[in-house]
Amino acid sequence: MTAQEIVTRIQQKLAADGIAWRTTTVDTFKAGRPESTVRGIATTGMATFDMLRRASAAGRNFVITHEPTFYNHLDQTEALASDATYLAKLRFIEDQGMIVWRFHDHAHMLRPDPLVTGSARTLGLTPYASPTERGIYTVPQTTLRALAADIARRVGGRFIRVCGDPEMKVTRIAMGPGYGVPPLTQAVDVSIGGEAPESGGHAEYALDAQALGRPRGVILLGHMMSEDWGMREAADWLRAFVTEVPIDWIAAGEPFGRRS
Amino acid sequence: MSGHLSRRRFLWTAASAAVAAARAEAHQPPTLTVGAVIARMQENLGLPWREKSIDGLKAGSPDAIVTGIATTVMASADVLRRAAAAGRNLVFTQEPTFYNAVEDGGNRSSDAVYLAKKALVDERRLVVWRFSEHWNARKPNEPVGALANALGWSTYRLPDGDAIYKIPEMRLDAVLEHVRTRLHVRGGLRWIGRPDMPVRTVLLSPGTTDLPSTVARMPRADLLLAGEPREWEALPYVLDAGPQKAVVSVGRIVSLEPGAAACAAWIRSFTPEVPVETIAVGDPYWSAS
Repeated sequence: MTAQEIVTRIQQKLAADGIAWRTTTVDTFKAGRPESTVRGIATTGMATFDMLRRASAAGRNFVITHEPTFYNHLDQTEALASDATYLAKLRFIEDQGMIVWRFHDHAHMLRPDPLVTGSARTLGLTPYASPTERGIYTVPQTTLRALAADIARRVGGRFIRVCGDPEMKVTRIAMGPGYGVPPLTQAVDVSIGGEAPESGGHAEYALDAQALGRPRGVILLGHMMSEDWGMREAADWLRAFVTEVPIDWIAAGEPFGRRS
Repeated sequence: MSGHLSRRRFLWTAASAAVAAARAEAHQPPTLTVGAVIARMQENLGLPWREKSIDGLKAGSPDAIVTGIATTVMASADVLRRAAAAGRNLVFTQEPTFYNAVEDGGNRSSDAVYLAKKALVDERRLVVWRFSEHWNARKPNEPVGALANALGWSTYRLPDGDAIYKIPEMRLDAVLEHVRTRLHVRGGLRWIGRPDMPVRTVLLSPGTTDLPSTVARMPRADLLLAGEPREWEALPYVLDAGPQKAVVSVGRIVSLEPGAAACAAWIRSFTPEVPVETIAVGDPYWSAS
């Protein structure tokens, strides 16, 4: 079975579920030959060099990545054409007979969005999901400090950043994957996600909300600590209709704190 | 930092100081308007003023009489209160003030925090002016030079103008401790790299870290010291480069605060009539880990 055949089957599955393939999308082959035979599939939050090495060692030569391979959203490589890091990574992919394909836009179109449910499951929020509002979770009253500590323990993240009064009361949480951290409003107590600019509706709003007596908080897990988990759900989703080859989830893992 | 007063600016500054002194003798209150301060900034910038710019008046009146000036990375409610309490009614901010770049509140126009912040600005009769694009356009780059100065690294800048500093060799863990102490980072400090990795060359990238300039410069640096590197761009790029490269990320605000202080010193050099100071926001994050 080739990588192209697997992608075609994914597109057919989406079409059967009423999700039309987008004409403009980042969900394309990024490296390797689509006609290569697939020995095994690895899904991941990001096809980092380290993740690719682990996938190759495990015999999973088709990597389905949520985030880019070459350091920008469109995986444009002109600026990288003579860059040693880019060339080494590309050569590794080709030498190992690997194929990298991105599953981003259409993954977020699945219902439920596996990136959201994966994160919610890891954070222990699934039982608290609102039946009517997507991305909203109502938890038994806690504090920002206690919630953040619980989340840090569950995801095992070493660099979880929090802005807001640690003692503020929390019941209503908005959670979004990756860079899609829901902007804070008065309608929620805390917003949780991967990464967000400090300027704008996250840290800036949390600082002002605290200063102006209407405390709100933001918890930033880091992009991979937010979205890696969703690609585990994507692997489960794939296994239901791709049965010819083994499918694993190989986490990219938290980049911060890495020694290399 | 722009510590060197040009002869022209020196004479001009001396002249305006003399005018201020003469006014004081005549027991007349100084009447420096916001508009006059902006005119002096445009005159001293050393660059053409851009017709279309994110810089400009965001709240208050251009005709207001300036009693004092504050510079800051972000005009948070806390910063605005401190500015008002100190009589610094003109606040220059690098970042937007009302949670988006267009500053009109957008879909937050009925949000209680947005309204309370607007009310704070109005009640304390503050003037908020965004000054970012032009400040960042000065050569050599002001935020980079100011960050280096805050780290005690000014003299180590390589002459290529690319924000790379050749520092006396330190282990990465020592760099981390140095950065934590000098920049007062709390939960915002994050890093990639071996603690014992020798660091000799550092690429300083306060604020935003774009990929093309990182790719162009990082091959000549051991460490990327950045403000807010995106976790799908510069960060994995350095991660993929292998164990001989490291990243230290301090957060956008922390990385730009030395530059805001330098901006205060620059404005002070040509507004001798009023006090000018910087007001720090501080690291917004604490760590849950």
